[in-house]
Amino acid sequence: MKDTINFINIEALKFSGKVNASISHELKNVLAIISETSGFLSDLTDLAKQGKDLKISLLEGCSESIAEDIQRGFATIKQMNQFAHSVDVPIKEVDLLETLELTVNLSGFLSFASRVQIKNHDDEIRSVLTCPFLLQNLIYQILLFTYESIGPDGDILIEFNSKKNDGTHLLLSSPAKLILDGFPTAKIKKTADILGVEFSMNASPVELSIWVPNESNEIVMLGKELQIDSYT
Amino acid sequence: MTDNKKIHLLMVDDEVKFLETITKRLKLKFFDITSATNGVDAIEAAKKGQFDVAVIDLQMPGIDGVHVLETLKKNHKYLEVIILSGHATIETAVDCTKIGAFKILEKPCEFSNLVDAIKEAYEKKLKKKFEHDQLRIKKIEALALGQSPLGILKELAKMDKDEK
Repeated sequence: MKDTINFINIEALKFSGKVNASISHELKNVLAIISETSGFLSDLTDLAKQGKDLKISLLEGCSESIAEDIQRGFATIKQMNQFAHSVDVPIKEVDLLETLELTVNLSGFLSFASRVQIKNHDDEIRSVLTCPFLLQNLIYQILLFTYESIGPDGDILIEFNSKKNDGTHLLLSSPAKLILDGFPTAKIKKTADILGVEFSMNASPVELSIWVPNESNEIVMLGKELQIDSYT
Repeated sequence: MTDNKKIHLLMVDDEVKFLETITKRLKLKFFDITSATNGVDAIEAAKKGQFDVAVIDLQMPGIDGVHVLETLKKNHKYLEVIILSGHATIETAVDCTKIGAFKILEKPCEFSNLVDAIKEAYEKKLKKKFEHDQLRIKKIEALALGQSPLGILKELAKMDKDEK
């Protein structure tokens, strides 16, 4: 158990660092756009002062752009906040869809991220007792693995396939060529084992099925250890 | 004082809105600009156009900025490259400087700082080209004294090839 907790701690730091770096990059981009757009407005004002006729649509475009990017910044900060709070309680019941959506959004800040669509066919809330931070880490690693083969111009579909065997099946597929050679990596496998998550792969069409248990003995045990660990 | 109209600029950034807005602002300053949203397009654009200065982002899909910098510096000996990125670490800044980046600017950056950096980079390019041309003239003069007309032509052709 000590090894497992060490692994979780090291991976948590790495994951947290990676996500924070990508969020800060996203926010810098948002601020850079706002800064340049307001600068452009100021350039236009100077031209108007010199007697140049300006199209109102140019000014409207600038103000709309600033408003849009402020909203993009707010959305990013909201995701950052959600991510930060996912370590509040080491083990808890989480909505799998929410966790998946948040992780997809966080991974979307990476320049090589593919477009991801999530489909929950029956709109049922899929709550699981898990370590939220570690589950996010696992989903993030799986997404990164698939982004490598699909690329930034490709699409990935994740479907809530069925709820059976005391857990939820997520089916990951792509209209592009999804390559799963070398999956799962040792790190993904170890993270999945801690969470009790299992994988199965289809060869044709290439699909990855991820089974997330509603709860497992390992998670309950880990919860006790992490609770104790967090107070020492 | 540098005439901005003479500066052929290549702007590369995968953040389309940022690229569009900064291009509009630089156009108001009369720079001649070509823009690209990824590394592959940037390298292709550089093959087709004669650019003085390139401003490139680091994190881009496909080929990243460091690789673009490397390729541009290898294939275009007078081109000066400025890195404009929200993702530059000390390590990448050191790497980029070693590869030959003229300056590393952090996003968001003051527009006037970017304009100044572009002008400085252009002046450096002119100076480098001037020094190289002076050296070339000296070489041609030396050749004219000691070579046959055919030998001079052969040497000039070799120098032209090296120039590319």
